[in-house]
Amino acid sequence: MTRDQFLSQLRLSLGNMPEADKQDIVYDYEEHFRIGLADGKSEEQIAESLGNPRVIGNSYRIDAMLTVPNDGESVAAASVFNAVIASISLTIFNVIFVLGPFIGLIGILFGMWVTAGSLVFAGAVTMVSTAFPSASNVQLIANPLANGAFMLFSGLGIGALGVLASIGMVLVTKWFFIGVAAYVKFNARIIRGGK
Amino acid sequence: MNIQFKKGVLELCVLTVLCRRDCYGYELVQAISENIEIAEGTIYPLLRRLTQEEYSSTYIQESNEGPARKYYRITDKGRECQKMQLAEWNHFITGVNTLIKEEPA
Repeated sequence: MTRDQFLSQLRLSLGNMPEADKQDIVYDYEEHFRIGLADGKSEEQIAESLGNPRVIGNSYRIDAMLTVPNDGESVAAASVFNAVIASISLTIFNVIFVLGPFIGLIGILFGMWVTAGSLVFAGAVTMVSTAFPSASNVQLIANPLANGAFMLFSGLGIGALGVLASIGMVLVTKWFFIGVAAYVKFNARIIRGGK
Repeated sequence: MNIQFKKGVLELCVLTVLCRRDCYGYELVQAISENIEIAEGTIYPLLRRLTQEEYSSTYIQESNEGPARKYYRITDKGRECQKMQLAEWNHFITGVNTLIKEEPA
């Protein structure tokens, strides 16, 4: 096979790739022939060691099909369409299966925060009202066990429990938002059609 | 040999040669076909893919003998990839060799 035969078969097998890409690809083989000839080889020898130009051309086309363009402009219409379909079906899925549990979880989180806050508040009030009975309007309930020291320490205990619960809630809330962020990112990834 | 396997190994070879020095296509093809039996035409599609994936970049340089040549240069990303593939390769051949040398039970 001569140089020209090789190059024209290669060009043919590149099919409907953009002309600029074809030129860029064929350039490499033109240079290869040029240097090979200068190296003292014949056109036939060079073409033979290169291999079948149709097979070579096909491998460029397969690569082109598999390569996802990373600049926004050249994204094919098909992938935009896929993104739209993906985002619509995700939206439906999210509204039906995710929104309800999400609102529920927010409610539970809110309830737990209120509980933690109430514990802190109750502990503080118990201690303050025990230490300064005259300064507060809170009346100690008539309980035989309700002497000063007992009330002070149970106030301290309840308050400490509340503080611990609050610390726990800070963590739980953080995890919750990390989870939500991860889910949102996951959605974005599906819409972009990435891996 | 399995063609997919050969392709993967070829990528490691090309990256390794480029890690040592910048090459123009013909030079790279010679360096590889001296050691491995391949259809030389399979190197150029690979080079194009490596360049598109930013494992290598190209530049044109005038030569003393005749017209300018297109050189391929490895990128940092390419070096990183070569290191990883080399480690995988070594792991693989160690495993194969161990298997081959095992005494038959």
